[in-house]
Amino acid sequence: MSTTSQKHRDFVGEPMGDKPVMALSGIGDTLGKKLEEQGFDKASVVLGQFLLLKKDTEMFTDWLKDATGANSRQAGSCAQCLKEWCDAFL
Amino acid sequence: DAPPQSKCCKKQQYSNCKTNSLQILSQTWRLKGRNEDPEVTQVPDPSKLTDECLKAALLKHGVKAGPIVASTRALYEKKLRKLLLHSNGDGELNGAEKAELYSDSEEEQEEEEEPDEESVSEEEQQKPKETKKIQSENNKAELKFHRGDFSYQQCFLLSSRLRAVPSRNGKPCSKRHSKNVLKSSERSQSSCSQILAGISKPSATGQHSGLRSAVPPASKTMVSNDCSSVSSKTFSITQMVQEMESRSAVSDCTVEELNSSSVGGHCSRSYRFDMNDLDKSRSTDQSLYYTPKDVHPSCGMKLPQEKVKNILKEALPETKTTTTRIYATPRRPIKGAAQRPIQYSLPHTLVSPVTLERREVERRLVSIHIQILFFVFVACIIFFIYVNVQDSTVLALLDSLSHCFDKEGGTLLLPETEDTQALYEQD
Repeated sequence: MSTTSQKHRDFVGEPMGDKPVMALSGIGDTLGKKLEEQGFDKASVVLGQFLLLKKDTEMFTDWLKDATGANSRQAGSCAQCLKEWCDAFL
Repeated sequence: DAPPQSKCCKKQQYSNCKTNSLQILSQTWRLKGRNEDPEVTQVPDPSKLTDECLKAALLKHGVKAGPIVASTRALYEKKLRKLLLHSNGDGELNGAEKAELYSDSEEEQEEEEEPDEESVSEEEQQKPKETKKIQSENNKAELKFHRGDFSYQQCFLLSSRLRAVPSRNGKPCSKRHSKNVLKSSERSQSSCSQILAGISKPSATGQHSGLRSAVPPASKTMVSNDCSSVSSKTFSITQMVQEMESRSAVSDCTVEELNSSSVGGHCSRSYRFDMNDLDKSRSTDQSLYYTPKDVHPSCGMKLPQEKVKNILKEALPETKTTTTRIYATPRRPIKGAAQRPIQYSLPHTLVSPVTLERREVERRLVSIHIQILFFVFVACIIFFIYVNVQDSTVLALLDSLSHCFDKEGGTLLLPETEDTQALYEQD
């Protein structure tokens, strides 16, 4: 089994609905606040950004790092989380 | 600066972009210190471009960009900048972005003496000039190595040297071999280079000479094995690591020996720890233990294996004390990580946590049998007390008790009291 966190599994296991940005894997309080400041107040909006980048995890990681100052691990985790969600539900 | 874009076709847009950017071009190119023909280059400054132009430019570099909106624009600009750097640098690659460039040894690119890792691999095709280049590159590589840079070139250095050698001999098999090797090593070069880089980087500060001598054999063997699998490569690298640890200063004579010995046993030169083995291998002209299946039994397969084992045993206890911080994980005896006792993934008894809890509770509490026994024992004691005590106070107590209990369940007590009375009367 891959090393996914509980948060990851919780997110990927069901439609995200109206979950906040903090529910994303890799996004904690600090990063969540930064995203909300930029207007990404819900996980779905971040998903929108991910889709805009054509579901490219690399680009999304870069974007997240630039936008919030996330480190590689956090950004990668978030990208992976979204990718899997898309694979499951999109 | 923004031309109308809605109706232009892509080409027109691009030409518009170009014309717009020519002005910018001169500025940026001046900054870069080049006086090249403006028409040669692409649009340099991504931030001045329109969305359409940016998209076209990215497409030119082979990147299919998504919609360029406010949030994605910065990202695509950055990407374009990176791409421009790459295309302008002519192979100045720092990151591992384009793997094909590493593995692309088919192209005969410029023979510039630019100290580029990839250009070295591309130059391998040019055999006549190899020897000179090799030496110069070798020096450069060594310098680089000492500086502690990524030593991708180390991987290719002596591979090129090796290819030059067999070509000198003019043996057809070697030529074929080298080509095959090139192709086969394409894929693995990136991995091996990364591995080598990883190995060389930490040890760059340390054992320079040891690595230098260790790297050539490793690269040599990697090159010479046309059918070398990844496992054999890792094997060689682990051996290399062990070599580094066990020998601090394998001298240049090994390198020279390798050079001289490569004449004979090019195709299947194997990695040797000792000088003796090198001599043997030179004489036998056979690979010994890279791919054991290919090995001829006559060439003393067992010997090197034994030596390998010995060296492994020597080296492995040493691995913990090395500075390289590299663990030869594929070859480590299975002792469990970090000398911990072997832990099986699953516990022997597959029990649910509920049963475990129950067991815990049961362990703590007194067992049921003992409880029942105790209860019976106490009941007997009380019974005997009732029976034996002849005091009237007891009876009075009993009466009082019975009065108390009358309200609740008197019927039960009545026969009891009658019994006790009967017993009492008996006494």
